[in-house]
Amino acid sequence: MENIDAARLQMAFTLIFHIVFACIGMVMPFFMVVSHKKWLNTRNPIYLTLTKSWQKGVAIFFVTGAVSGTALSFELGLLWPEFMKHAGPIIGMPFSLEGAAFFVEALALGFYLYGWNRIPEKFHWFTGIIVGVSGVMSGILVVSANAWMNAPSGFDYINGEFINIDPVKALLNPAWFTQALHMTLAAFTATGFAVAGIHAYQVYKKRNVELHKKAFKIAITFAAIAAILQPLSGDLSAKDIAERQPVKLAAMEAHYETKKGAPLYIGGIVDSEKQEVNYKLEIPYALSFLAFGDFNAEVKGLNDFPKDELPNVAMVHYAFQTMVGLGTLLMLAGIIFFVAKFKKKSWFDLPKFWLLFSILAPMGFIALEAGWIVTEVGRQPWIIHNIMKTKDAVTPMPGIVFSLYTYIVVYTILTIAVTWLMTRQIKFLNSIKIDQA
Amino acid sequence: MIYVVLTFLAVSLLLYVLLAGADFGAGIIELFSSKENQAINKKTIYQVMGPVWEANHIWIIILIVILWIAFPNYYNILVLALHIPLTLVLLGITLRGVAFVFRYYDAYKDNSQILYDWMFKVSSLITPIFLGLTMGGVVSGDIINPTQMEQHSFLEVYVHSWFNVFSILTGFFYAALCAFLASVFLIGEVDDSIKAMYMRKAAIASIVVVSLGFITLLYGYFTNIAFVVDFIGNMYSLSAIVLSGILLFPLWRSITLGRRIISRALAGLQIFLILFAATIAHFPKILFTTTGSISILEQPVPDSVLNVLGISLLFGGVLIIPGLFHLLKSFKLIKLLER
Repeated sequence: MENIDAARLQMAFTLIFHIVFACIGMVMPFFMVVSHKKWLNTRNPIYLTLTKSWQKGVAIFFVTGAVSGTALSFELGLLWPEFMKHAGPIIGMPFSLEGAAFFVEALALGFYLYGWNRIPEKFHWFTGIIVGVSGVMSGILVVSANAWMNAPSGFDYINGEFINIDPVKALLNPAWFTQALHMTLAAFTATGFAVAGIHAYQVYKKRNVELHKKAFKIAITFAAIAAILQPLSGDLSAKDIAERQPVKLAAMEAHYETKKGAPLYIGGIVDSEKQEVNYKLEIPYALSFLAFGDFNAEVKGLNDFPKDELPNVAMVHYAFQTMVGLGTLLMLAGIIFFVAKFKKKSWFDLPKFWLLFSILAPMGFIALEAGWIVTEVGRQPWIIHNIMKTKDAVTPMPGIVFSLYTYIVVYTILTIAVTWLMTRQIKFLNSIKIDQA
Repeated sequence: MIYVVLTFLAVSLLLYVLLAGADFGAGIIELFSSKENQAINKKTIYQVMGPVWEANHIWIIILIVILWIAFPNYYNILVLALHIPLTLVLLGITLRGVAFVFRYYDAYKDNSQILYDWMFKVSSLITPIFLGLTMGGVVSGDIINPTQMEQHSFLEVYVHSWFNVFSILTGFFYAALCAFLASVFLIGEVDDSIKAMYMRKAAIASIVVVSLGFITLLYGYFTNIAFVVDFIGNMYSLSAIVLSGILLFPLWRSITLGRRIISRALAGLQIFLILFAATIAHFPKILFTTTGSISILEQPVPDSVLNVLGISLLFGGVLIIPGLFHLLKSFKLIKLLER
């Protein structure tokens, strides 16, 4: 394997791993504090049991997210030294603020986990809120650094030198808001559906039904709201990409020929040799409208970009289709939940209802990872859009492939271990009897 | 503003070496304990370090972020030449962190604990060794300047820079230092019945630290490692390191008298003196390559970057440090009341 491919795979692999844990560690505290609040208000011991059970989940996911995040902060430099040498000072601000936010989160989590019956009740609950808010802040800041790679700003690039650096402008780059919004909603959707799905499955299996129903409702409420809002944020992102990274948009849609009134392709098999998409569903004029808000707008096709500046079209197209398809599915599921909640209470007694949400458990995360593939693979061959190519940033050290194998082995074991720990948590949760006061 | 940034860099290095060091050390002590004492140690460090252990490890992220923002060229050399030990440090941090949490948060306490415990103990030893190796590598003088990398072999550029006797000695020295810190710290946290165990560990660790430190310096001196020769020749370095050794006597006295705040302050001061001694002789040229030392202040980044970083750090510091103290205080106070 070429060194650069090994480095890219290692980065992709560690990011794919980290994102799952980071999202859960960031979103689950919100479920936890809602349950905690319900315990404080109702003194129903079910909520206390649920809160403590979720808190263990938060601790396990938080630490896995934290250590894999630490590894990533080093990997940026270890794998892409040229990139960090130039970009480090420019995008340092989101990272230093992220460090601060993460610190606050770790401190608050220390208070929360160890504070039961030791610190005043309300303050204890409030530290849970701080955990959640600072987690989301961290997420937004890191995404802003990534957005800078898509929309480099805050410097002048003259004769291969980065001058007139303005870190604040780099932090508030043109892509930060759309990307951060999209990712935050995605994190809530993915984590919400995953947590709700796990509890739905327990209800479906008729284990500790009352507790799992309560857990399901808290998680799915967050998830459903996020999933229903997500298409709006997606529309903002698409329009943003159409303007700033037209080649990424063309790859997402496998749109080869420049055209006015371009159609939108749904599904289809990309034939990169013949430059066409077979077996697709075609919606006339839709791409022009979605990208530019005008049915007759011209959408630049892949053929009008330099050949050596194209990403892997098939991969970006499939990932984009996966993301949008699953996103739509989850939005519909969110609507189903609200219909059940406000109109058709009887649905909650149907096993089919619980089975549906059990099946949906992993879909949010699949969509989320697919979305990151669109962002990252879609930017290739650039590491900094139109400024620095990925191949010029990679470490000169040979043999990265061994580092890649090590990470694959270690992270695979960790994934298995965490999954196993979670099943044990659920088993334990189902084995305890809760005395209703 | 560069001095604000440098201060934060130095403080995060000191705190990481100190706090994470004590954390690593707790695992090292457990590795070298009888079965019975292992169980005691496991319980103690959960109570004592549990609430703060995650915060202890964030200092390395702050450290690395400051390095890459404010000293990109310096950072660039580190990540190239010390790629391998840094990767191993990361794996160690990862395994150790998850093992620490797994063994306390697994819903069932069964045989899987044995696996978590081993993972925790072994990575607690390996991680500081590689961390020390990395620090040794920075000053051992075997790093190849990136501009000349192409004329050298893979082994010379990526392996000899850290895999040399001096760096290995430094690695073991730091691991011993961690065990020393942990035992001094834990003495203040346990009942009298367990105290004797940690005092024994502290005594052994002190002897190992002093001997390893002595051997490391001696080796460096006789093999003409520029860093060590200058270190010994520099009045400030030499007096700081000697003072750090002498402080062992008052430290030991305050331990036997049961004065835990003073004991900890003294141990912290010793670490500060060691780091001070290691940097003062050469500052700001604190990276040694085969062709001479490199200044951390070489090719500074623009003021706009430094200003924003300095302000972020001050802002973050104002936010974090009171929280950290409050966290430490809350749980300490509660512990005292419980007794």
